Amino acid sequence: MVILEVDNVVKSFGGLRALQDVSLSVAKGEIRAVIGPNGAGKSTFFNVMTGLLSPDSGNVVFNGERITGMPPHRIIRKGIGRSFQITNIFPRMSVFENVQVALFSHHGKNRNPLSLARKFREIGEEALSILEQVGLADKYDASASILSHGDQKRLEIAISLASRPALLLLDEPTAGMSRFESRETVALLQKISREQGLTLVFTEHDMDIVFGISERITVLQQGAVIADGTPAEIKANPQVRKAYLGEEITE
Amino acid sequence: MDLSFLTVQVLSALRQAAFLFLISSGLTLVFGVLNILNFAHGALYMLGAYFIYWLTLYLVGPGGFLLALLAAPLGVALIAAVLEMGLLRRIYIQEEIYQLLLTYALVLIIDDLAKIVFGPEFKSVPKPDFVSGSVTLFGGTVPVYTLLVVVLAPAVAALLWYLLYKTKTGKVVRATSSDREMADALGINMSALFTLVFAFGAILAGLGGALAGPVRTVFPGVGTEVIIECFVVVVIGGLGNLWGALIGSILIGALETIGIIVFPEFEMALIYLLMVAVLVVRPWGLFGRPLKIKALSEKNLEMEAQEISPVHFSVHPAVRWAPLLLLLLVPLVAGRFYQYLLTQIFVASLMAIAFNLLLGMTGLLSFGQAAFFGVGAYAVGLLVTKAGFGTLPALLLSPAVAAAAAAVIGFFCVRLSGVHFAMLTLAFGQLIYAVVFKWYGFTGGDNGIQGIPVKPIAVAGLAGIDIGSTKEMYYFVLVVVGLSVEILRRIRSSPFGATLKSIRENGQRASYLGVNVKLYQWTAFVVAGAFTGLAGGLYALMEKSISPEIIHWTKSAEPVLMTIIGGIYTFVGPAVGAVVYIILNSYLVAWTEKWALVLGLVLLTLVLLLPGGVVGFVNEKARQIFGKLRCIRRWSFSKSTTS
Ligand SMILES: Nc1ncnc2c1ncn2[C@@H]1O[C@H](COP(=O)(O)OP(=O)(O)OP(=O)(O)O)[C@@H](O)[C@H]1O
Ligand SMILES: [Mg+2]
Repeated sequence: MVILEVDNVVKSFGGLRALQDVSLSVAKGEIRAVIGPNGAGKSTFFNVMTGLLSPDSGNVVFNGERITGMPPHRIIRKGIGRSFQITNIFPRMSVFENVQVALFSHHGKNRNPLSLARKFREIGEEALSILEQVGLADKYDASASILSHGDQKRLEIAISLASRPALLLLDEPTAGMSRFESRETVALLQKISREQGLTLVFTEHDMDIVFGISERITVLQQGAVIADGTPAEIKANPQVRKAYLGEEITE
Repeated sequence: MDLSFLTVQVLSALRQAAFLFLISSGLTLVFGVLNILNFAHGALYMLGAYFIYWLTLYLVGPGGFLLALLAAPLGVALIAAVLEMGLLRRIYIQEEIYQLLLTYALVLIIDDLAKIVFGPEFKSVPKPDFVSGSVTLFGGTVPVYTLLVVVLAPAVAALLWYLLYKTKTGKVVRATSSDREMADALGINMSALFTLVFAFGAILAGLGGALAGPVRTVFPGVGTEVIIECFVVVVIGGLGNLWGALIGSILIGALETIGIIVFPEFEMALIYLLMVAVLVVRPWGLFGRPLKIKALSEKNLEMEAQEISPVHFSVHPAVRWAPLLLLLLVPLVAGRFYQYLLTQIFVASLMAIAFNLLLGMTGLLSFGQAAFFGVGAYAVGLLVTKAGFGTLPALLLSPAVAAAAAAVIGFFCVRLSGVHFAMLTLAFGQLIYAVVFKWYGFTGGDNGIQGIPVKPIAVAGLAGIDIGSTKEMYYFVLVVVGLSVEILRRIRSSPFGATLKSIRENGQRASYLGVNVKLYQWTAFVVAGAFTGLAGGLYALMEKSISPEIIHWTKSAEPVLMTIIGGIYTFVGPAVGAVVYIILNSYLVAWTEKWALVLGLVLLTLVLLLPGGVVGFVNEKARQIFGKLRCIRRWSFSKSTTS
């Protein structure tokens, strides 16, 4: 079953065609990598899919519903989560509060100004269990601003998971992490996807990770899709080898 | 309308536009490069005017006048350079509220120093003979000095254009103004550039003041009138944009001239109406662009430790209730003066805490809160005196009326952020001020409403409760404010409050939680407006007379100052700030005339040394010291507590 369908999306910045007729189809539960050299348009593609930018033309369909041009907060409510290339968290809130506030929003509990946050015990428990999942439970009362870069990235994943998305879009989830941290994070994502049937679409520059976990790979170059297929197909694709990956893909 | 009349009016409009452009081009240039909206720009204008006044006492004759016209702006520039290097430079990394407040502190200080040096009276500079005559143009009589100003301003504009577009330094300035990171990457010496631009902006303000010396009077505080006009000009044109300043100046100059002829009553309101209209259609001004949102890494995150997070810590209820008990006992020991003083403090505290729901919690700097205070106060005043309402029904309606006003104003304001938000709230506030000030038939105009009767409060069937005396009013205000503050405290500790905080920290991320950011900001604006209106209603009952002064923008600065004094990221901070502010005000005013100077110095010290305010500082220490003691409980989650 297809969960995400992108049809012929075009986006220009002035004269620059950042996305040219990009199409993509992702099946439920799939792990999909979107790769391409710097400036290929990966982040722009994520921004268009999540409503930060609206496309000049083309369509984004999620679970059979057209979400093109909707504001981010409505798209999130449909069941899409997102993390950013540059870490995007609530710095002067504690690790716990970062996740808690996401849960309040997800459960629709943040509308009553006279209820007390601390009375929502179940939400507190849920926040802690998500933090445990990403390995941050022991730092729950630290300020998010003092976490290490890798921990902040993980916190952002925790925040995104809190809205219980069916589809999670991760823009370079391991950027700036140490090798060890990246491996851990990737293992975590793989596990969550498997256990919860979560669909993952991610961008990544580390080819070991890309070929290690993705089920299908889409290659962008200068705003256009030049290949789309299984890791084996992508490895064998001469256009990809020549135009982008060069000798990086070696058996 | 004949040609001579038209000529005179057009030239008068042009003269006004010329002054506005001279001053506001400096303001917008400084904003474009330094990203600081300089409140003290008007004070620099005033210094320019005082300097030429002082210089022409010694330099006589045409040569002397021209020399003074050159020297005065340079003197202003020198002072500005010192201020930039000594003070402003220290707080570029802070959030913009601190930069605004530092320049505001400078206004208070410079104004009072001017009063000490030059005296409180109005001064005017005699026009030198060679420009004091007038000429006849198309049958109309036009002063030569007007022509001088009208010719000089475009000359300065041309010079500016040349400097910015044709010189190397100018190109660097423009590059910096459009992309600071790029300029950084190019290895441009930013410190020197900032000082240069700030001093250059000051030259323009000083020149405006010096040129205005012979035709407008100068007095301490004239800067606050000038700066507001300039804000209007640069905001209409688009902050940071020189052409915008030019067009804005011409628009305002023309509108003022037309306003005086056609609607003399509402000339002032027209200007703010234009500003509101432009910003509603084009939120960033005619030529402006949305400001780049500061990257998180650029923000100063130091004050993180000052907020005792309601999630992880809670103040022991005893700590909360003890002060209330003490306050209940005060009238037993303290006389009427102290009771009245405390009543004033309660009202100010409510206003400041409500204000901080916007600033500290949501990250929105409103510079128009006095409007809602005024709307609440006038609601009570009018309902009681004109509609015969009882005390309690009128008071209960005051937050409703203020909330309605905030709902409309907030709808337009939350589309903006940062200084643009502050400027639009300021414009709306001034618009309401201008209307109340002139609408004699309804609001009593500048006379206000005198003798508001405070009727006994009727309680179902019982005899009315009298709240007319100072002591009764003390208890009444204490109860109303106490209840309101408790509601505001709950809002802060609610999931709703947590959501506001997440918006303050990172609006984009908040929207990626599924939060409709604008809707939450609007709601916070309305709630803050309602409680501010209630404070205004209490004020009307307590003072029994109100005047438009309570709506003026300088009143909007008060909750901002109180909040900064007490602590922006704390709940009780604004109330503590209110205590300090009101006490300083009452005692200093009785004791010395230099109240603004003292306030300015206090503010300056706080911004530079204690940006988290008094309570922020105490909280930080309390976390370190009392964290282990019982008065601050650490609240922890563990699975065992629920299972
Ligand atoms: N808001 C914008 N305005 C103008 N140009 C933009 C904007 N955002 C992106 N671009 C341009 O669009 C192109 C694609 O950028 P994008 O960030 O999507 O690339 P990317 O594939 O994510 O690169 P990277 O691997 O470096 O993250 C780049 O040339 C970039 O400069
Ligand atoms: Mg990218």
